[in-house]
Amino acid sequence: MFDKSKIGYSFPPFTIEVERGKIRELALAIGDDNPIYQSREAAQAAGYPDVPLFPTAPTLFTFWGNAKMVSQIVSLGINVMRVLHGEEEYEYLAPINAGDILTGVMTVVDGKTRQGKDGSSLDILTTEIRYTNQHGQPVLNAREMILVRE
Amino acid sequence: MTTNTQDPTKLYYEDVQVGDAIPKLVKAPVTHLQLVRYAGASGDFNPLHTDPKFGEMIGTGGIIAHGMLVMGFVGQMLSDYVGPTALRKFGVRFKGMTRLDDVITCTGAITEKHEVDGEARISGKVQATDQNGDVKIMGTFVATLPHRSE
Repeated sequence: MFDKSKIGYSFPPFTIEVERGKIRELALAIGDDNPIYQSREAAQAAGYPDVPLFPTAPTLFTFWGNAKMVSQIVSLGINVMRVLHGEEEYEYLAPINAGDILTGVMTVVDGKTRQGKDGSSLDILTTEIRYTNQHGQPVLNAREMILVRE
Repeated sequence: MTTNTQDPTKLYYEDVQVGDAIPKLVKAPVTHLQLVRYAGASGDFNPLHTDPKFGEMIGTGGIIAHGMLVMGFVGQMLSDYVGPTALRKFGVRFKGMTRLDDVITCTGAITEKHEVDGEARISGKVQATDQNGDVKIMGTFVATLPHRSE
């Protein structure tokens, strides 16, 4: 069961470089063959300074950037094999391009447990990761709500 | 607030009216290969999305797609519509599981036009449904658009 004492807790920062090749890979896996995600040349030809961020590319920063994410979620008392994704929200504060170095800090912003009549319980946990770039500029807030059936 | 680079799309604030539909995106049927590819691209290797035996074991009845893949489909529609760097906010709620062979259609509509922080912005609602009309994702977005005179 989710450990409520962790609400408000922030994990140590993690750092990730925004990689052109990973953006291309993600866009192609989704089935988006827009050339702006394929190469810097195509992005620049379309008027972008470099390969721009695919709208859901922040998912790369958590899974690839934060190597400790799974153990951090486990440390909250969550069984990661029973996690369902409830909500995902991105607030894009400033442009992010391939080559940027981002630092993310994940905070547990909310959590509650609902008891079912059959004795089961459902944890509802919300985390937020605030990202700044190599210039210290806030560039992205990523908020996620997960559901955990116990 | 930083001045962001303008997305090099052809859509202007004046072209958009409240109630307008966003050009819909119909995706190819979801395949097992696509889920394997998406797992590798995104870094989400939860076996729930790639290993049919695991799906049977935990009772989901076969593998289910990553929710983030379907959010990616909606992201593709928004990228096509306003361009990736025009997005200010994009959030979704996951409403149902997507399975192999599901054909996902992404749709959306403009709900508001407003000026904030010196930017002309549009807000909208988005949705992803399968071939039976079952809703997989509901969400909202905010994007900034250039004025025609700029």
